[in-house]
Amino acid sequence: MIYQYLGVVIGILAVIIAIIRFRDGKTSSAMLIFWIAIWSVISLVSVFPETTTILANLFGIGRGLDLILILGIIASYYLVFKLYTMIEKLELEITELVRQIALNQEENETKKYINEDEDLEK
Amino acid sequence: MTLLKSTLKGHTMPNQSFELDKLNKELFLVVPAYNEEKTVAKVVTKLCEMSYMVVVVDDGSHDKTYSIVKDLQEKYPKQISIYSHTINRGLGAALKTGLEASLRKGAKYMVTFDADCQHDPNDIDNVCKPLKLDEADVVLGDRNFDDMPLSKKISNQIMNFITLLFYGVKVNDSQSGLRAFNSKATQLLELNSRGYGVSSEIVREIKKNHLRFKEVPIKTIYTPYSISKGTNATIGIKILFKMIIDILKKF
Repeated sequence: MIYQYLGVVIGILAVIIAIIRFRDGKTSSAMLIFWIAIWSVISLVSVFPETTTILANLFGIGRGLDLILILGIIASYYLVFKLYTMIEKLELEITELVRQIALNQEENETKKYINEDEDLEK
Repeated sequence: MTLLKSTLKGHTMPNQSFELDKLNKELFLVVPAYNEEKTVAKVVTKLCEMSYMVVVVDDGSHDKTYSIVKDLQEKYPKQISIYSHTINRGLGAALKTGLEASLRKGAKYMVTFDADCQHDPNDIDNVCKPLKLDEADVVLGDRNFDDMPLSKKISNQIMNFITLLFYGVKVNDSQSGLRAFNSKATQLLELNSRGYGVSSEIVREIKKNHLRFKEVPIKTIYTPYSISKGTNATIGIKILFKMIIDILKKF
């Protein structure tokens, strides 16, 4: 079956990319292990598709493919929520930054004027 | 610049310091302004004439709001402080900056006042009264809904209902822009929402921190301009969505 070969090739490529990224210091070791695990599972499932049926039956779902789709959708929703909270956090941090800059700027300017005022009096 | 220097130098002059004695240095007015070039000068001048300390927060306006207030500052250098957000971060963020700035300047009471001319400056005394008499920590201005255009009336009533539903506090006007806080309340407020949701958040914080609050009827001046600003149905839906997400995040 062609998809079996495709799955393995993509899996190996992805693992290589993950290793290169780790070597270049772009990802942490935890992320490297995470991605290697994910792509290994995908490669294994491509080689032995019947294993998913066994797992699916364990959960009471008829076909292996259905289980994978369900898990995929759940994972995507989780990812979207995760992204949402991350963006939220970023927004909060930007707001805090903008606020602090505004507060400091005003205080510096006031200080500057007071100093200039004192200089003039001297 | 030279003008500013000379005005600043002028403060040491006796007649000027006499003027300063009359300033109410305990009470700070926080004026958040986002693209309010048409009205901000009128509002700030009026407040300065009434010898209040004014903190203007320019929330990343794209128009001349900042330079207009900067010019006014040369006229009233002791009264006006300007804080400028480099990028627009919403009403909540602007209020937070303004309140924090007032605290740093030693304010005892803080009043938030919209820059769109919809409030009557004579109401400031009314909302501050319960604070000065130590009857309340927070005072919310209560607009008369009967004077409101229908669309505003409905969206404000929905917001009141949502505030009651989510935070369990019944208020007559949760979205009012005229509010007064004492320094104790300001220090306790934990405001996270950036947009108009902050008004409901203030109500939540009142309940969470067991602050005493009072509602005081205020006048609202409706001009076509002030109607176009502020809470409308779309913003209401956005606030509702945000509140649901905030609750979901707790699980």
